[in-house]
Amino acid sequence: MYKKKFTPYLFIIPALLLILIFVYIPIFENFYFSFFRMNSYMPGKTFLGLDNYKDIFQNDIFYTAIINNTWYAVISLIFQVGLGLALAIILESKLLGKEKKFFRTIYFLPSVIAIAAVGLMFYYIYNPNLGLLNAVIRLFTEGDFRYAWLGRPNTAIFAIIAMSQWQFTGYIMILLIVSIQKIPQELYEVAEIDGANSFQKAIYVTIPQIKEMILVTGVITVIGAFKLFTEIFVTTRGGPYDTTQVLGTFMYKTAFFYDKMGYAAAIAVIIFFITFTTSVIQISLANRGGD
Amino acid sequence: MSKKLLSLSIVLTMLFIMSFTLTIGAEEVTLKFLHRWTQEPDNSFFEEIVANYEEQNPDVNIDMEVVSNDPFKEKIKIMLGTENAPDVFFTWPGEFTNRFIRANQIMDITSYMEDGWKDTLIDSVVEPFKYEGKIYGAPYRLDAKVFVYNTKIFEEVGVEEPENFEEFITILQKIKDAGYTPIAFGNMFPWAVSHYMGQLNSYCVPYETYMEDLKPAEGDFAHPGYLKALEKYEELTPYFNPSSNAIRHDEARVSLFNGEAAMMYLEIIEIPTVEQQAPEEFKENYDVFVMPWIEGAEGDPNALLGYPEGFVISANTKHPDEAVEFLKYLTGKEVGKKEAQDLYFVNGFKNVVSPGEIPDSVYNTTQLVLETDSLVNWFDSSLHAEIWSVVGSELQKLTDGVATPEEALEEMRDIAEEVRAQF
Repeated sequence: MYKKKFTPYLFIIPALLLILIFVYIPIFENFYFSFFRMNSYMPGKTFLGLDNYKDIFQNDIFYTAIINNTWYAVISLIFQVGLGLALAIILESKLLGKEKKFFRTIYFLPSVIAIAAVGLMFYYIYNPNLGLLNAVIRLFTEGDFRYAWLGRPNTAIFAIIAMSQWQFTGYIMILLIVSIQKIPQELYEVAEIDGANSFQKAIYVTIPQIKEMILVTGVITVIGAFKLFTEIFVTTRGGPYDTTQVLGTFMYKTAFFYDKMGYAAAIAVIIFFITFTTSVIQISLANRGGD
Repeated sequence: MSKKLLSLSIVLTMLFIMSFTLTIGAEEVTLKFLHRWTQEPDNSFFEEIVANYEEQNPDVNIDMEVVSNDPFKEKIKIMLGTENAPDVFFTWPGEFTNRFIRANQIMDITSYMEDGWKDTLIDSVVEPFKYEGKIYGAPYRLDAKVFVYNTKIFEEVGVEEPENFEEFITILQKIKDAGYTPIAFGNMFPWAVSHYMGQLNSYCVPYETYMEDLKPAEGDFAHPGYLKALEKYEELTPYFNPSSNAIRHDEARVSLFNGEAAMMYLEIIEIPTVEQQAPEEFKENYDVFVMPWIEGAEGDPNALLGYPEGFVISANTKHPDEAVEFLKYLTGKEVGKKEAQDLYFVNGFKNVVSPGEIPDSVYNTTQLVLETDSLVNWFDSSLHAEIWSVVGSELQKLTDGVATPEEALEEMRDIAEEVRAQF
């Protein structure tokens, strides 16, 4: 009996050690590094205390990045979760027959393409001279329309956000469809007997039943919004004049262009706290509503 | 018993094999070599010259690694801090390299250079590899920035190569009036505008002052010439293609090749690309001129923007002599000849090519580099990374007309002050 008490822990220890070494220790190391001035090729580091954090909070690019990340989160919640939910409900309703499989695939397809490839594709779609988007607009307007969607500060970040909506709405939709399929049919039958129409069934049966999944997708989307990097890096790299910087690209830039590893570590800490607190808030909300 | 014997014999065999490999290892020297040409024909050129070297030096083994341009800039910074640092590697002289020199990561090769090696190389292109009087590297290819223009369009519009900046603006206006894009410009990544500024700064600011300002510990950019340079750049902006900040350099180059644009500010090392990719129509009708001199400016009229690229040796190499021999080979006559013939690039070896061996356009532009004694480094790679990051953004704003030269200069002085405080 005594022996058996410890046996399960023996099986857990290897995985625990791996996670400790490769996840938790680096996270704490990163906290430690954020108090220093250091770079990767020079030995030694200078202790700065909280100076890195002070500098970050005085840096305009940091605020641009926060605003851009927030835009990304808000728009993604509306389109990926909101529109994704609407699509999921429509595709799972009785309005559609066999063709629902076809639409499901169509909407899901963009999310399996590598982000780098999508970035390149949209780079050309948005191109002022060769771009598909301008060509379509020229069909309906007079004059020579050549707008640089990614080259103008007021549209660049939204052009990138739009690209992500195109790519990931279908993915969120599939996650929601899976949980809609698990809802017992009886509930709909009861609702029908009570005289509910399709809209009422969606509001009073489907959404409450998949509330958990909606929250999960919400968490995924918001955390994803603050970890954003590749979408920006493959399209504008933060340009023109740093108007499309997000926290991820700002961190990358300070680490690899400014050679300020400590400063970059401090940005990483800030990203960590933002994503950590949003997920704690959202998960506790989910638990409260779950009872 | 037999089991014991078997295990003993296995152990003995393994020991034997290990000692065997160890002796081989002691005789052969392995040099790690890192360059940044992933594309053809350069990549196979390097494979070939490395194979030739290994054949000539059977006891040296070259372990070559290639990383493309942008990732290279990041990777080398990480590698230099570790045991895995390459022995011989590519670099851009100037601040990009100087920061590694300050961190004691690059070997001082002055004593080897003074042992006769330096005399085989062109002085002005070894100069960039010096830092505080010592030599740290050798040039692999020369470069300079020139306007490549379409002679047919110039003829059609009735203009000639400008003698000075004022005349330049006049002909740009004429070309624009004739319906062509005067200057093709792709400034999505602002190194492109940095080239304009590098040349204009060296025209507007005395050479010594400019060089001092580029040192991160001292530079304050206080000279009024910097404002003039920015104003001159602003004068050029109406003649670029629209949305230049949204277009990549190579995309803009297409409009030069297909005759939509009359000229473009290109590097000499892009001329091989012109020869390989441009349509016959363009190849038969192009010529070059340097940035026209600004009358009354305080800088050096002979200054030419264009720094060589080259190779350096890691300070932590275990085989300094072998690494130096390999570096001599890489930047020497044999490779230089082959480089000129296969790739149309010219290295820093004296008289490595004669007229007729390479296309005239390449030969003639290379002469421009050899004729000047004030080669000026690219503005982006000569600035401290943090200063450049701000300046690059400001120059993009200036290109779009959302910042004035005064505003851009103020930002530049502010960040320079911040960086100075770190030293």
